[in-house]
Amino acid sequence: MHRYVVKLLEILQEKKALGIDELIKESKLNKDSVLWALEQLQESGFAKLTKSGKSTPIFSEEGKRYAESKLPEEALLERLGKERVKISDLSPEERIGFQWLKAKGIADVKDGFIILKEVKKIEEGDVLRKLFKDPDSFEEVRKQHPQAIDNLLKRKLISMKSSEVIESVEITPLGEKEKLKQEEEIGELNRNIILSGGWKGKAFKKYDVSLGVEDAEIAKRHPFRSFLDELRDAYVAMGFREISGPIVEPSFWVFDSLFVPQDHPAREMQDTFYLLNPGRMELKEKKLVNRVKDAHEKGWHINWYKEVAEQAVLRTHTTSVSARFIYNLDKRLLASISPVKPLQLFSIGRVFRNESIDYKHLAEFYQTDGIVIGVNLTLANLFDVLKRIYNSIGIEIKFKPSYFPFVEPGVEVEILYNGEWLELGGAGIIRREITGIVSKKIKVLAWGLGVERALMAKNKGIRTITELYNSNLGWIRNKVII
Amino acid sequence: MQSLGLSVEGLNEGEISIDITPNRPDLLDIVGFARTLRNFMHYKERLEYKLTDPNPVLTINVGKNVSKVRPFISSLVVKNLNLTDESLKYIINFTEKFSETFGRKRDKLAMGLHNLSKIKGNIVYDAKLEGKFTPLNESREMTFKEIIETHEKGVAYAHTIKGSYYPLLEDNDGILSLIPIINSNRTKVTKDTKEMLVDITGTSQYIVEKAADLFACMFIDLGANVYRVKISYGKKSIITPRMETDIIEIKPSQIEDQIGARIGFNNIISLANKMGYKALFVNNRIRFFIPPYRLDIINDQDIIEDIAIGYGYEFIHPISLFSEVIGGRLEESTKTNRKLIGLMLGLGFSEANNNYLTNEKINFEMMRIEQKPHVQVKGSKSENITMLRTWLLPSLLGNLGASAHEKMPQKMFELDLVFNIEGEEVKESYHIAGAYASPKINFNDIKSIVTSLFHSLGIEDFEVKEESIPSFIDGRCARIASKELKGFFGEIHPEVLNNFGIEEPTVAFELELPF
Repeated sequence: MHRYVVKLLEILQEKKALGIDELIKESKLNKDSVLWALEQLQESGFAKLTKSGKSTPIFSEEGKRYAESKLPEEALLERLGKERVKISDLSPEERIGFQWLKAKGIADVKDGFIILKEVKKIEEGDVLRKLFKDPDSFEEVRKQHPQAIDNLLKRKLISMKSSEVIESVEITPLGEKEKLKQEEEIGELNRNIILSGGWKGKAFKKYDVSLGVEDAEIAKRHPFRSFLDELRDAYVAMGFREISGPIVEPSFWVFDSLFVPQDHPAREMQDTFYLLNPGRMELKEKKLVNRVKDAHEKGWHINWYKEVAEQAVLRTHTTSVSARFIYNLDKRLLASISPVKPLQLFSIGRVFRNESIDYKHLAEFYQTDGIVIGVNLTLANLFDVLKRIYNSIGIEIKFKPSYFPFVEPGVEVEILYNGEWLELGGAGIIRREITGIVSKKIKVLAWGLGVERALMAKNKGIRTITELYNSNLGWIRNKVII
Repeated sequence: MQSLGLSVEGLNEGEISIDITPNRPDLLDIVGFARTLRNFMHYKERLEYKLTDPNPVLTINVGKNVSKVRPFISSLVVKNLNLTDESLKYIINFTEKFSETFGRKRDKLAMGLHNLSKIKGNIVYDAKLEGKFTPLNESREMTFKEIIETHEKGVAYAHTIKGSYYPLLEDNDGILSLIPIINSNRTKVTKDTKEMLVDITGTSQYIVEKAADLFACMFIDLGANVYRVKISYGKKSIITPRMETDIIEIKPSQIEDQIGARIGFNNIISLANKMGYKALFVNNRIRFFIPPYRLDIINDQDIIEDIAIGYGYEFIHPISLFSEVIGGRLEESTKTNRKLIGLMLGLGFSEANNNYLTNEKINFEMMRIEQKPHVQVKGSKSENITMLRTWLLPSLLGNLGASAHEKMPQKMFELDLVFNIEGEEVKESYHIAGAYASPKINFNDIKSIVTSLFHSLGIEDFEVKEESIPSFIDGRCARIASKELKGFFGEIHPEVLNNFGIEEPTVAFELELPF
């Protein structure tokens, strides 16, 4: 038996008989639980319940309306007191009133006019209004005015709702003798209970599901790292192949191979990290180095020095990865390129600038480079491919002219961030001075774009670039992943 | 401005700041800037610059000594000048800016302005070991050495003097200029100067000659008359400014194919004018006349860009590539990394994103280990940045230290590049490391994490051996190695925990990935 039943029986064995309110108080259970348990006790013959019946009226729409004003016969009677009324002049409601007056022998028709035969008070009106005011007086009123109540019920102005209420309870002799053990309630489930079937027929302890709890310790990806993967997947979905390359490079791959003149300001030590160890990295690609030297001396009209190109640096852009790929294109891949089948490649990685660090500036950050190698490629193709990639991850971009030594035409890509257009990076068609060394027939669309700003434009929760390099565990645990 | 490719950096109260890209030194000049805008808006276009007199009005003789230090000079003479305080200020301002930026702090190119009426006799460009004169705005004579050591300009541009020879310009009365540092006070230019001699010196003949053209255009735009100067290098001589209009011919289809828009012949010619080129249609090609002030035009590609700018990038409609959307794929290392990240998250480790740049104190000293060869950077602007990290654990322990007051237990991992020097070569490789801090933790916790990683990657054949790494407690550190993966794990030494501000026992591992 349920523990509520056991509890009530224990109380009854001690007190013998008691009122329902007393029982609720004594048992500390709620009313519904007590009523339910009492029914169980009565069914088992352990307790006898004293119930009282009780009826209350329920008013129909019509009944409610009349109770608030008058019955139709009352209204008609009032009118008849003031004027002579033709039967044909009656409103539909007055017709109902007339039927009742006629039935009670109060009124009749003569020569088309209504005549009063006897003046009587309309009992139903008073009864209806009294009940409406005080529904609990129903039983009493019913005793006094049985005919009127009957009429109201017949006219469906009211209906009757009856209910039984347990008033008190007393223990039976059977109940006094009954020795009940409280049934075990199941709290936490365990292997034994599950496997033995011991849970069958038993109650489960109810838990308070509204109680507050602490969050679980969730292990998460770093939000920025997870964005890098989102970006990678966007490229792959567009048919791009991932490539990568070294971070420590001779200047050649970062600058010279990209037609950046040796006296370009970006190459100065205040912008670029040059290295103490290794100070220089030998260039073994002799043929390529000579062709690059020629292109520089012809294009920039200044002497080109191999020693300058061999100075080791931390790459300042991932375009060095693209440069390495372009210059190392093998014959098979070159031959596979057709007007309908360009080669599409991308890389994502860290780049370095010798910056003074503050909340807006970092010495290292991410960049993504993409190249499309094909024939007959145009600026309009470049705009299309960039828009597709960025729009696919929910980022708006636009283009304007700009200058970079290795592309022509040059494009600055701008990103919509908090309603403002900000610089995201550069793009363009790679100069013939570079691609011509590999093949006369190819054209290469290229871009090198910042990654941090793209995430910040997407994730409004991140306000400064330094936050993206925050690896405080509390921050990662609480960061919303979108 | 934006449609010209110039980015507007600031806009307030009638003032507008513009970023000039380094390829367009002609825009650093307010006159050149106005000229470009005027053309762009088709307002009083000026597409040709011509000299009235083709013959040189004077000669500069070049001596032998400059050939090794600053070999090239160009020059022009300006007459009928009508200067105001303001226009003089603009001209001086421009020459300074031009020499500073395009001239790479006067190393590659620098220029000087002289009052021509104060110059007497033969003008010579040469270099000498010593000499003295009264520098601009000074009241006394100074020696070259004195100027280099004490004069504001001398100190600022001492770097341009590479050997013991000082390049200079002189006439019969003495030194006109210590090049490229300071002029003499004798030939100082004022607003009343009517005739000017401009000298431009540098390390590239082409560039000093082109710069003379650029300045000639500026003075013509100012309403002055420009005359030529003969530069005599002994037997050989040249005449500057050349003011030759270079010609480049391009097929219209080539322009349209680069841009990806149908523009049309006539429209290309009108766009060319807008961008300052005179252009003609000749034999199915468009002949572009490069204005002498443009120093950045290398070949057809640069002109096509100008046509694209004139056309307006915003009017170039994106056109889809007919590419097959197949063949997209990630690098193998990215794929493996993602699997490892999945395992680490499954083990309850959160991911960190740390810097590659660090310093010897964090990378070695705080970890209680000896320095080994590593990638070192030069001239960092930040004291904390001196090298690239050689391993991941210092970064991760830094993260745990910064998270010391977050709820325990704490587990963090990082999978990224580290940099080591092996022999002469820089080795860039991916490592994975995890650190686990908790009041109740011991060596076995980290060992079981590492072995579960090995097993999950299908590596059954591995060896665990005792290892001694001072970052870990001696006797609680092991090396693990298989064909595919190797690394170490153990319980971090309390001194290291103190160094990083970690308050609970911590175990950690680091593995080198095979790519």
